Amino acid sequence: MQLHQVTRVHGSKNTGVAALDNVSLTCPPGTWTAVMGPSGSGKSTLLHCAAGLDQVTSGRVLLAGHDITAAPDNVLTAMRRRTIGFVFQTFNLISSLTAEQNVAFPAKLAGLRVSKRDVRAVLAVVGLADRATHRPKELSGGQQQRVAIARAMITRPAVLFADEPTGALDSASAKTVLALLRDMVRTAGQTILMVTHDPAVAASADTVIFLADGRVVDRLTGPTTHDVAERLAGLES
Amino acid sequence: MSFSTFRERWELFAGAVLSVAVGVALLQASMLVLAATGNPQIPPGLSRQEQDEIREGFVGAATVMGMTAFLAMFLAVFIVSSTFGFTVAQRRRDLALLRLTGGSRAQLRALLLSESLLLGVVGSVLGVPFGVVAQHVQTWLLIEIGLLPDGFTAPWRGWAAITAGVLGVGVALTGVFTASLRAARIRPLEALRETGKAARVMNTSRWLFGLSAAACTVAMVVWAQGTNLIGALMAALGISMCGAVAMSLLSPLVVPLTAWLLPSGLVRANLREGVRRSAATASPLIVLVSLLLGLSGTFGSLAAAGGEEAKRSVNAQLVVTSTGEEAERLPAVEGVAVASRQNAVDITITAEQPDEGPTRYYSGIVAVDPADYARTHHLPPSAGNLAALTGTTVFTGPARHGDGIIPGQVLAADAGGQPLQLTVVGGLPETLEAGDSFLLPRAALPRHVWSAAPTETVVQVVPGQNPADVADRIRRQGFGEIRTVPEWAAARARQTQDGNVEILTVLMGLAGLYALMAVVNAAVIAGAERRREFAVARVTGLTRRQVIGSAVAEAIAVALIGVVLGCVVAGAGLAGIGGAVRKAIGVTVVDVPWALLAIVVVGSVAVVATTTGITAAVTTRQRPVALVTAGE
Repeated sequence: MQLHQVTRVHGSKNTGVAALDNVSLTCPPGTWTAVMGPSGSGKSTLLHCAAGLDQVTSGRVLLAGHDITAAPDNVLTAMRRRTIGFVFQTFNLISSLTAEQNVAFPAKLAGLRVSKRDVRAVLAVVGLADRATHRPKELSGGQQQRVAIARAMITRPAVLFADEPTGALDSASAKTVLALLRDMVRTAGQTILMVTHDPAVAASADTVIFLADGRVVDRLTGPTTHDVAERLAGLES
Repeated sequence: MSFSTFRERWELFAGAVLSVAVGVALLQASMLVLAATGNPQIPPGLSRQEQDEIREGFVGAATVMGMTAFLAMFLAVFIVSSTFGFTVAQRRRDLALLRLTGGSRAQLRALLLSESLLLGVVGSVLGVPFGVVAQHVQTWLLIEIGLLPDGFTAPWRGWAAITAGVLGVGVALTGVFTASLRAARIRPLEALRETGKAARVMNTSRWLFGLSAAACTVAMVVWAQGTNLIGALMAALGISMCGAVAMSLLSPLVVPLTAWLLPSGLVRANLREGVRRSAATASPLIVLVSLLLGLSGTFGSLAAAGGEEAKRSVNAQLVVTSTGEEAERLPAVEGVAVASRQNAVDITITAEQPDEGPTRYYSGIVAVDPADYARTHHLPPSAGNLAALTGTTVFTGPARHGDGIIPGQVLAADAGGQPLQLTVVGGLPETLEAGDSFLLPRAALPRHVWSAAPTETVVQVVPGQNPADVADRIRRQGFGEIRTVPEWAAARARQTQDGNVEILTVLMGLAGLYALMAVVNAAVIAGAERRREFAVARVTGLTRRQVIGSAVAEAIAVALIGVVLGCVVAGAGLAGIGGAVRKAIGVTVVDVPWALLAIVVVGSVAVVATTTGITAAVTTRQRPVALVTAGE
């Protein structure tokens, strides 16, 4: 996943505010990158642009070897089905479907056959084997997030986009979720781009980049919670 | 996916199914009754006149049912498409989520269309038994107002149910089609926004259709100014329907504007924010009000104009009702200058038309003294001269103006057993009221034919005499019913209007309930979708009572806006009819149905307020914290 000199301006080109200002970023396969920064620094916009959910004003976006900068909707749809997955703070499950239906749903949309066994297996990985037929309403926040991760796992997407994946979870659930994400990177070689404001969460990534006012201002490799917190405090002061 | 969504959002889909079912039911019922009226069932043992009356009643019933079917079709298209469009708009976030998880545009469209196919089929199937009920109600109404004889029943016909059902499914599919095109443009990113902010409500197609419907309405109002009354009547219906469409499409522009009239606060802010929701509630109200008030105002104006015309066509002061024999004493009363006796005689006139065969007329045949008649009536003949009405001759009246009976033609008559050959010597022009069928000289008829006939005598008072004094003198001569010309004209207008009200009841009764149901529907759907918003308001510090109160206040404001917009459309319809009346009789006569207006305002506000109140009470029953903190 690569961003080349990406700029995203909200509002009109001349008077608008640049949410992203000439950002370049490369996430090699099998790595986990965390994006941090104060509120309004452009973290979410970066994620949306990288995932092809938002159009960039200038620059190029490459995803799994494809240039998606100006990709038409059907190409982006196809990518959402096979190449990329999403995990968000609000879990974005379809409330009328059961956990296993939610997990199997993207694959079904893609016209792929998913056996019930595969679905159950993925749910078992996230520790929800016994909750397969529950609806989101009947699950706790941590369980819902694990269903969302199972949904992102089943198609084995090359790139997973995560926006505050632990934001609405208690610390125990957050740990489980982070362990699951780490597993995806290590065993399946998937790439994760994650936005968070929690230094402890960012510290589980391989690399942390810091944004301020739409620019990359710093970068940490092999971070610890303490390092991250320090840099962040520096940015916000 | 479709099935599980149904379970989740039952209010949304119950509303949609119901809107299809009732539309199909109305359509099916009207078609069944219409089909049955094509084949009049005449009870045996009736006189020719009675048979003729029944036959005429059937023709009238067929006309009313034809209009009802048309109206039902219009309402079904309007209500179903607005309900379905609303259901799609309310699920923006769900649909965006679908796109986010890899659904393509085509899949989204397919989902929505298959969903509406399912809803349409369920609705149409439910519509069949509903239709049987509706048919009973319509038949009962038609018998009540005397258009159909007692014991009339419309036989069941499978094709009517099938046609209505197919139309129902078709309407559901077309209703959701444009909404699905719009929904396919929802961007996946919208799933990530907290509230799933609705798209611009005034999109291009809304502008386009709204403005063209408005232009059509204005064109019809202008056109109605220069047309005849039948044209104006059609225009009035067209203006009501077209104007209602225009107003509801453009209502998102008006609703926020009117919000400025309210004191600032939550209600005003909600009105400006929830434009889509307000528009969905206001639309069916606009249709209901514009059709109900527009049609009733049109009929009322025509009736009033008919009375006005009758008053102006008579050059006299008093109208006396009696038998033909008694009326003969009137010319001798002191102060009476002219007494034009008009006997409604019970004779039969047969017209042989070249391509239609013989037509028999039994009613509206009036015997007059041509000279007296000419002195007391202004209406100039459209052909011939009243002076020629001597011997065995006949004049066609306003009611027969369009029947193609021409001067020179000879009509056969049967006057109490005596055959007569009447030569047509002229005719009177068409009037707003149906008027008489034939005028013939009393001298041509044997005395026993007219002596007992119900007679109206138009009395012209000697110049300088007080009409009230003359009326007193006539009363002392033993005459019971003496009215001034204005009283007589008003009574005629009232009688016409009574008939109109009955027809309007048949026409708008069930259709009005259908529109009202759509109003309730929209209010319930709108309220049910606000569960979270209500919870947030309560967490912010509002009591449950305050939340319900502000929802109700908002609903009342929307209802009033809907009623006002509907009134604007009805007003446009009345402007059209006013112009046509002006062209026909020289003065503008417009009857505003104030009583109905008051009922509609109070009724619709009450219905919307109650529904919203109940929905808000039900949706706030849960503890707010549970809703606010639940992720989904």
